[in-house]
Amino acid sequence: MSQEVASENRDDLVDRETVLRLLLSAAFWLVFAPTIGVILSIKFNYYDFLGNVSWLTWGRLRPVHVMGVIFGAFSTAIVGLTYYMVPKLCGVRMYKESWSRALFWIWNIGLTASLVSLPLGQNLGIEAGEFPWWSNIIIEIALIMITIQVLVTVIRRKEQRIYVTLWYLTAAYIWTVFNYAFGHFILPYSMPGVNNAAMHGLYIHYVVGLWITPAGLAVIYYFLPLAARRPLYSHKLSLVGFWSLAFFYPFVGTHHYIYSPIPYWTQTIAIVASMMLIIPVWTVLQNFYGTFVGSWKRFQESYTAKFLIIGALFYLIGCFQGSTEALRGMQRLTHFTDFVIAHSHLTVFGTFILWVTAGMYYVIPRVSGHELYSRTLAQWHYWLTVTGFSLMASVLTLQGLMQGTMLDVGADFVDSMVAMKPYWLIRTLAGATMDVGALLGMWNFYMTVMHGRRIEAPAGGPAPAEPLWT
Amino acid sequence: MEEEHPGKAGDPGEVSRYEFSGIEERHGKIPKWLACVYVALLIWMVYYLVRFWTDKG
Repeated sequence: MSQEVASENRDDLVDRETVLRLLLSAAFWLVFAPTIGVILSIKFNYYDFLGNVSWLTWGRLRPVHVMGVIFGAFSTAIVGLTYYMVPKLCGVRMYKESWSRALFWIWNIGLTASLVSLPLGQNLGIEAGEFPWWSNIIIEIALIMITIQVLVTVIRRKEQRIYVTLWYLTAAYIWTVFNYAFGHFILPYSMPGVNNAAMHGLYIHYVVGLWITPAGLAVIYYFLPLAARRPLYSHKLSLVGFWSLAFFYPFVGTHHYIYSPIPYWTQTIAIVASMMLIIPVWTVLQNFYGTFVGSWKRFQESYTAKFLIIGALFYLIGCFQGSTEALRGMQRLTHFTDFVIAHSHLTVFGTFILWVTAGMYYVIPRVSGHELYSRTLAQWHYWLTVTGFSLMASVLTLQGLMQGTMLDVGADFVDSMVAMKPYWLIRTLAGATMDVGALLGMWNFYMTVMHGRRIEAPAGGPAPAEPLWT
Repeated sequence: MEEEHPGKAGDPGEVSRYEFSGIEERHGKIPKWLACVYVALLIWMVYYLVRFWTDKG
């Protein structure tokens, strides 16, 4: 046990201040970007909400929500957690820590400027690649900097073996450096017509599958054994999960264009690859639940465990939805409906945002040296998030199936929209519930850092391994 | 990294420990039910690719 305590507290390898700054800025984005989503959902109920001000219209705000969640909320948290996980997995401090401190400013200033410019009408017009060209240069530089830091730190590591978290993280950064350049510097300026659409399908799914997914899996693989206080179930399974994701995901993107002029065999490959993603998803989940068996009481004790497990449940549902909706029969029913929105929310928010939140519950008390400020706030954060999100995912899925069925039997499009009215209201209330939960959680993180009770180390011994309620 | 050896190296129960992070992992195994899923999906993949490579109407 004493060895466990000592190794869990090798936080002398971590640049604590930079990690905290990045995680607190992520906490801001985690409230900001979903709030824009709630504002947008109100527009479904009251179309003239916010009037005719051009920069508050649906078309201007929607990219702020999407890009804010992907690059603000999720990615900022991943960058912060990277600076915690990589040094501890390598046994050396991060390469060029001065870059990390600079990167905090580059990343956040770049993001802020980009997200402000979107409502002002500067938009590249590529979904999930909408930031203006000048801000893409800033973000690409930041991505290259952290990729170099991660790679060199891994090369200089003292730990002999490379844990699965490092595979996922290094792969995610390398893939994204190239994909970001592809989506922002090549795609908007070349390949007109249907080829551009096909390539856009690939780009947008590389954002999801080669950035959000591997970076999110890196997080759960790191924190799950620590939260469960048990060894990871299977190294062998983690190999299968990683390589099957790397092999199948690159072909998935074109499934957005089933029944389009894109060659039929290309669509078939995308469908097959989407279904084959069941292999990495179920493999990863077997590894998670195998690790947790026998540790279920940690679900009651640890907020890290709570958010990881509930995120894993949404991962199972969301990914199964994603694989099956690629099939031609399901695509005919669900394309252009809210079923697709249910899938994207189940995966990006329900899974990956919840997993990085779990990581924040683990890291913030340890790095700040403060106990979690309030267990009550954490409880409210958890239950409002779970309740609100479960409701939202269910309603969106139901809406999608209803819309698809109505259109399939020849109902008028306007009638299919009118039928959605009560569901839109529920969706707004569910989103607002989640937002209140997020606000409480992020306030809790802020107060933990600023006013949390100092964790006292026993005389002559290492600091306690487990600050209260994390 | 330290290794504990309940059995010989490569045994499913063998536990490896990452010293600086405190993470432990078992060498582990692939459960039979999951192996069956892999095989079923691979067979389906071949069928679907052959059947739907072109639009046969």
